[in-house]
Amino acid sequence: MLETRPTTDVAARISDGTKIYGEGDTEVRALDGVSESFEKGRYTAIMGPSGSGKSTLLHCIAGLDELTSGQVYIGDTDLGSLNDKNLTLLRRQKVGFVFQSFNLVPTLSAKENILLPLLIAGEKEDDAWFEQVVGILGLGDRLKHRPSELSGGQQQRVAAARALVSRPDIIFADEPSGNLDSKSAAELLDFMRRAVREFGQTIVMVTHDPVAASYADRIVYLEDGRIAGEMHDPTPEMVIDRMKQFGG
Amino acid sequence: MIRTALKTIFAHKLRLMLTAMSVMIGVAFIAGTFIFTDTINQTFSDLFDDQFAGQDVIVQAEAEFDVGFGGPPPIEESVLDTVLGVQGVAAAAGSAGGFALIYDSNGEAIVPMGPPTIGASSTEDERLRGNIVIREGRTPAGPTEVVIDAKTAGDNGLSVGTVVEVQTVGGVAEYDLVGIVGFGDADNIAGATVAVFDLETAQTLFGLEGMYSGITVIGEEGVSPELLRNNIALALPEGVEAVVSADEAEAQAEALQESLGFLNTALLVFAAVAVFVAAFIIQNTFRIIVRQRQRELALMRAVGATGGQVVWMVAIEALIVGIFASVLGIALGFVISALLTAGMAAIGFDLPSTSASLAPRTIIIGFIVGVGVTLIAAILPAIRAARIPPVAALQDVDVRLRMSDRRRTIFGSILLTIGVGLIVAGLFGDVIDLGPLNELTAVGIGALVVFLAVSMLSSLVVPSLARFIGWPLPKIDNLTGTLAIANAVRKPRRTATTASALMIGLALVAFFFILGDSIKASVSGSIEEGLRADYVISVEGFAGGFSPSLAEDLKGQEEVEATTSLRMGFWDRNGTEEFVMGIEAETVDQTIFLDVQSGSVTALVAGGVFVHEDVASDEGWVVGDSIPMGFAATGLQEVEIVGIYGEQNVVQSNFLVGLEFYEANFSGFGTDTDFVVAVTGAEGASPEATRAVVEAAAAEYGNVTVRDQAEYRESQEAQIDTLLVLFNALLILAVIIALFGIMNTLSLSIYERTREIGLLRAVGMTRPQTRRMIRWESIMVAVIGAILGIVVGLFFGIVVTAALKSQGINQLSIPALQIFGLVIFGVIAGLLAAIIPARRAANLNILEAISYE
Repeated sequence: MLETRPTTDVAARISDGTKIYGEGDTEVRALDGVSESFEKGRYTAIMGPSGSGKSTLLHCIAGLDELTSGQVYIGDTDLGSLNDKNLTLLRRQKVGFVFQSFNLVPTLSAKENILLPLLIAGEKEDDAWFEQVVGILGLGDRLKHRPSELSGGQQQRVAAARALVSRPDIIFADEPSGNLDSKSAAELLDFMRRAVREFGQTIVMVTHDPVAASYADRIVYLEDGRIAGEMHDPTPEMVIDRMKQFGG
Repeated sequence: MIRTALKTIFAHKLRLMLTAMSVMIGVAFIAGTFIFTDTINQTFSDLFDDQFAGQDVIVQAEAEFDVGFGGPPPIEESVLDTVLGVQGVAAAAGSAGGFALIYDSNGEAIVPMGPPTIGASSTEDERLRGNIVIREGRTPAGPTEVVIDAKTAGDNGLSVGTVVEVQTVGGVAEYDLVGIVGFGDADNIAGATVAVFDLETAQTLFGLEGMYSGITVIGEEGVSPELLRNNIALALPEGVEAVVSADEAEAQAEALQESLGFLNTALLVFAAVAVFVAAFIIQNTFRIIVRQRQRELALMRAVGATGGQVVWMVAIEALIVGIFASVLGIALGFVISALLTAGMAAIGFDLPSTSASLAPRTIIIGFIVGVGVTLIAAILPAIRAARIPPVAALQDVDVRLRMSDRRRTIFGSILLTIGVGLIVAGLFGDVIDLGPLNELTAVGIGALVVFLAVSMLSSLVVPSLARFIGWPLPKIDNLTGTLAIANAVRKPRRTATTASALMIGLALVAFFFILGDSIKASVSGSIEEGLRADYVISVEGFAGGFSPSLAEDLKGQEEVEATTSLRMGFWDRNGTEEFVMGIEAETVDQTIFLDVQSGSVTALVAGGVFVHEDVASDEGWVVGDSIPMGFAATGLQEVEIVGIYGEQNVVQSNFLVGLEFYEANFSGFGTDTDFVVAVTGAEGASPEATRAVVEAAAAEYGNVTVRDQAEYRESQEAQIDTLLVLFNALLILAVIIALFGIMNTLSLSIYERTREIGLLRAVGMTRPQTRRMIRWESIMVAVIGAILGIVVGLFFGIVVTAALKSQGINQLSIPALQIFGLVIFGVIAGLLAAIIPARRAANLNILEAISYE
């Protein structure tokens, strides 16, 4: 499942993206002319106060929502040019998701949940890769369990394993550690960073938690639907300082 | 409280719409049945009033028993003189009526399906004509003239000045058509054809020389009909009575109401099935709704609402749904009534159409049923709603709101035993003699209980059934198939209840299939045994007969060895109407194998009655006993039993009398015509020759059909098939309700699984795959319902067929193909029910779905 050598080093890119909800007096500009690229093999966090548009940005780049104007590219593919079927296939093959909660199908086992995109496609998994991912995430003895039989932390790790198993071009995570206790959160975030460092994965994560953000290589700040700056190799303290400027 | 409930309802309009739909259809069926029978009653009541309008008093022979269609015997002409001499009589005239069959210009007999073919006489005195009007031409005068009703003339292009053929008891003859007649505004009397002759001619043609069927009388100005009747009655001889016309009209209307009452009840039984299915659906729906609103209801409890208030909330929702559905249901009832009318026409009953009649009783019952059933069905879920603990507002607690599996198994098994016990007791009721009506009720209630029990117990087999049925699905599309099966299995109770709704309708269909097939096989077999004749001549339609001269003609032919005429009649047996066949005892041994147990057929020639062995053994009668038989024409007679026989399916009667006895005790319309003639060919003649002769003779009579043994068996089977189609059509509504139920449950489940479906779509399941998943889930539920239905239907069919062994149904025949067809139907039903829900699931906005709270 190794891809051929890509033509660009950018995993995903948004160009002059605008997202408007409502009309006239009640118009809300969730995104206002946002342009940003996300490099391959990097861990990027998107932060901002509530209402900044960070979740909207994530959803639009991930192909879950449509821009009012502007373009989104995953690799070389312009998402706007895809019909629903191809967009769905793209999500299945090229993108991985980890949501804050409800990541798993309750009626399937952990193993089936991990293999979900492959099962949907009717493809066989790469056994070696699967074993490796499961091993690193420490899920080996949990594979046969249903989600209701797993702890919150284990559930999120299963979600992360799923995001990895199909070796996507990019993984999108929306507050993945938001519902976890600090220990489980740390485990999950650490693993995500390892995925980037050791397996060359690309991750874009939305968060409001400074500790979570500090795991990233780069933080992009969003305010009122516009890019408001970035920060490289962040520490929690740097992030907290920056956050004090929110809503200024 | 009410406002809250209303707000909730509007918030979930669609969900409650589907629920309301089931009740609506059930109520519509009930309302439609009542509207249907009320309309018919009203129509005929009006017609009878019309018919007797303008006449004050009718003089006729006294009939001790008012049974069947053979009315009172004719009266002497001399009675007319007596009547004319009575004070207050302005005018009076005799009338003669009988059988008359009109032929169209092509020589084909005009046979209305259901209504009779009437022959009547005309009166010169216009005052006595009532509402009969000459539309064209004039009244008939002389033995070669006839007048016919406007509808028959119009429909068949018969115009004044042409020649028309008419068949009467004496045979077929030609007459000049000199006039067209109408009845008030109507072109005919409720579909009957009418041929009018002058009085003398009528008397001759109907075999009434020197007699009248009745006398109509008009009183002078100022003389009330009652007074007139009293005066006349005083003057009349023994055995003749005077009746006020209006009373007679009422009496006939009442008699019709009684026979319609039976039809009404039968239809209501089917409607009750539909309502029962609707109750299942409602209960299921409200259970799901309560579960989905658990958090909200728990919040109310946390904030201080009592359990009672919560029950109240759910109850109000149920009440409003019930009212809404009842209103719509009653309106829809008119459509159902129209469908029933069309259905009747399709199987041969042409009913005159008038504006539909909506009685207050219909509206009241409609509301009681609609609201009542909804409330009762919602009660259990409502009570459970009250038991939601307030803590469920804070977290998604899996509140154990249902019975444990173990308790359900025990309770369900007990119910099943009771149900089966009731059915067996009702069918083989030798243990406790409850009487026929109570036995039927026991069987009915037993069936209901069995349905409830199976529904309870089926949740235990749902998982294995679903896996069995869904076995091929993962092979087609691995994940979709796995998910579909998992979804069907994940709430077994819910799947079981939904499937059970379909089970009810399909179980009854399967039951009728099996019963029908068994009856057909048994009848066919016994006809083979019982029919010695080569040909059977009979009429189409349900009423009337044909002239006995056909049999006469055939007897003379050398290709024919013997003919046996059969006539049918009704008599009074201790207050109930009983059927009897008059048979030509002299020749019956050559055409029918009566399986005589004791006594002899030759004795019938002299008189007496033959009784079927089952009835004889029930009553403890033997040859030599006398039984009281009440006849309309001759009153109560003590008749000696001269034989006991076993044959059932050819003569189709429990009592037989000889033709002479029949003619002595029956008179009036329908009793001077043959109903069936059985013909045995001569030894030496070839079948083709014999058939040719028989058909040639029959051709003259127009409304008869000649069938050989095989064709006769087929025609009997066809009659049963017609009934089967009718019953299945009546069950369709129950099945449709169940389909709505599946659609409803599916929609609610999808709503519950919004986040999950959003997740699957996000992670890459395409829209077609999503639709497929929902469709397969739906098919599994429907097929489970079909399989349960087949199992229960098999049980009903086998048990009832066994019980009917004493009635001559001695073969159990299970139509495998049709039963399997029910499974296929289940698949199709599942597909249909899934159309809308699948579309909605596939079109869910992914973002909204995954962030759904």
